[in-house]
Amino acid sequence: MIMEEFEPKILGFLCRWCCDLPDLRGILETRHPPRFCSTEVICSCGANEFLVLKAFAGGADGVLVGGCLAEECRYMRDSLSARKEIAALKPLLEAIGVSSERLRLEPSSPSESAMLAEKLGSFAQTIKQLGPSPFSRRRC
Amino acid sequence: MKGDMYLAWSSDDEVVKRADSGGVITSLLKFALDSKRVDAVLAVKARDGNRYDGIPVLISDPEEMIDTAGALHCVSVNIPRCIKEYLNGASDMKLAVVGKPCDMRGIIELVKREQINLDNLLLVGVNCSGTLSPVVAKETILKEFGVDPLDVVGEEIEDGSLIITLKDGTTKTKDLKELEEKDYGRRENCRRCEVKIPTMADIACGKWGVNSRKASFVEVCSDKGAQVFDEAVRAGYINVEPPNHKAIEERKRKEQEAIESALQWQETEFAPLKNIAVEEKFDYWQRQFSRCVKCYGCRDACPICYCKDCILEADRGAIEPGELPPTIMFHLIRIAHVMDSCVNCGQCQDVCSAGIPLARLTFMLNKELFDIFKYEPGMDVESRPPLRSVTDKELTMPGVELSF
Ligand SMILES: Cc1cc2nc3c(=O)[nH]c(=O)nc-3n(C[C@H](O)[C@H](O)[C@H](O)COP(=O)(O)OP(=O)(O)OC[C@H]3O[C@@H](n4cnc5c(N)ncnc54)[C@H](O)[C@@H]3O)c2cc1C
Ligand code: SF4
Ligand code: SF4
Ligand code: SF4
Repeated sequence: MIMEEFEPKILGFLCRWCCDLPDLRGILETRHPPRFCSTEVICSCGANEFLVLKAFAGGADGVLVGGCLAEECRYMRDSLSARKEIAALKPLLEAIGVSSERLRLEPSSPSESAMLAEKLGSFAQTIKQLGPSPFSRRRC
Repeated sequence: MKGDMYLAWSSDDEVVKRADSGGVITSLLKFALDSKRVDAVLAVKARDGNRYDGIPVLISDPEEMIDTAGALHCVSVNIPRCIKEYLNGASDMKLAVVGKPCDMRGIIELVKREQINLDNLLLVGVNCSGTLSPVVAKETILKEFGVDPLDVVGEEIEDGSLIITLKDGTTKTKDLKELEEKDYGRRENCRRCEVKIPTMADIACGKWGVNSRKASFVEVCSDKGAQVFDEAVRAGYINVEPPNHKAIEERKRKEQEAIESALQWQETEFAPLKNIAVEEKFDYWQRQFSRCVKCYGCRDACPICYCKDCILEADRGAIEPGELPPTIMFHLIRIAHVMDSCVNCGQCQDVCSAGIPLARLTFMLNKELFDIFKYEPGMDVESRPPLRSVTDKELTMPGVELSF
């Protein structure tokens, strides 16, 4: 039996201020990890517990949140609260059997699209090694 | 003064007779009512004398205070919720409240969420080694003690034993650990509960350190508590003497022992949830949650849940209406919303129609979040829950993004 290579489904919640989405998409055209979907959020805190959990329950193999460094965040407290939220969701995911490595927060800066693409690539690699999320494993 | 400690007992003989340990609480609260310092007292009593059917009671007639005297170990009524839901969060009356440490902590969390007005409250806490669910208690008494549960007039947890007192005055003792290994004994959350003396209340009362005397060891924990207590002493409702060194040490030792036992139970209960393979964990919780009948009991019972317009409601679009069992999202959202502030009161698990170990999961997560945020729920009214809030201190901490 020929196994199809596992291509992780990754969902990105990217802050509009630090992640230049068109730029990032341009870079990803040439070497994007397949099945990467991203959505722009006004601030990384937009990737709240509901959306992140929903992404996993909906079958995402990994969730990447891109947000500003605390000192660069326009909303100051909000990117910090996003960091705390993500830090808190990791143990919850782990507890119910979803590896916490599947959720990652990456600090970014407006001019760093190439680096963000780089980080996305390494995240995709990690997820590939982990295999499909138990939520999608269940479905097939 | 805040920090003062006493051995204290009621000056009313009838109260001493009916109370658990000298009746300081009953008489203090009677004084609070008599002197109109409070409009009412929220306490707990046995309905129609049935020790397995404890109910919260709101008392405004000082003469009725005596009916609440005594400790009920098979009762864990939801006091925080009672104040929030049914007494308008104490927004329009001065209220004295008696409760266990977990009750007090639930109240404090609701104060932080502006659901209860602390200014109107006088919090009187009892030390607590644990409570039994009424059903398990009856079974334990019948099967393990060989006694008709209706013959029991008192229970006590002391030095690792469960002691029951019968109508004829005799007592029977069993080793608590042995009982609990057979799943008899205390509620699961009580076994692992490590907050034993309610110093977050205004006044903390217990019998540790009194050495079988008909008195309680009282620690005054706030200026508000000190004022009422001192006045009650001056008015002659309560007798006090200073505790000697031995009493203070004894109380400390017993508290420490109880905490150590709780930490051991945490190990025992959390290890199987943590140490299994990731896939097994997933299957385990899917199986557990698949039994859910979506009764919303867990949400409604939890003192931390307070949203008026809950996202789990059918019209909010997050959870499919009419779908049973609900998707795991139902549980994950609820747990995500309370896990930073869970006080391990066990109410969610007590009410769960499906017997899902909800409090075990949520409290385990709370301990893990403590390691990250160092937030102790329900202990200090000034500290903010870590999620959905950022403090000025955190904002100015260098490299804070690295530490979470
Ligand atoms: C479940 C429980 C476990 C306890 N465990 C310990 C312990 O391990 N170590 C220790 O030092 N002290 C413990 N105590 C406290 C101790 O038994 C006495 O209650 C305390 O010393 C006050 O005595 P008192 O005579 O002044 O109380 P009383 O004057 O008899 O008044 C007791 C008050 O407690 C309230 N009450 C009774 N049962 C409950 C309940 N289940 N939940 C909430 N409120 C209740 C009553 O409404 C009443 O107002 C415990 C108390 C309870 C209720
Ligand atoms: S959780 Fe703790 S404070 Fe609450 S009833 Fe159990 S032992 Fe007492
Ligand atoms: S999650 Fe359960 S144990 Fe924790 S505070 Fe809420 S009801 Fe109590
Ligand atoms: S109390 Fe139990 S059965 Fe009811 S909704 Fe919560 S988990 Fe489901």
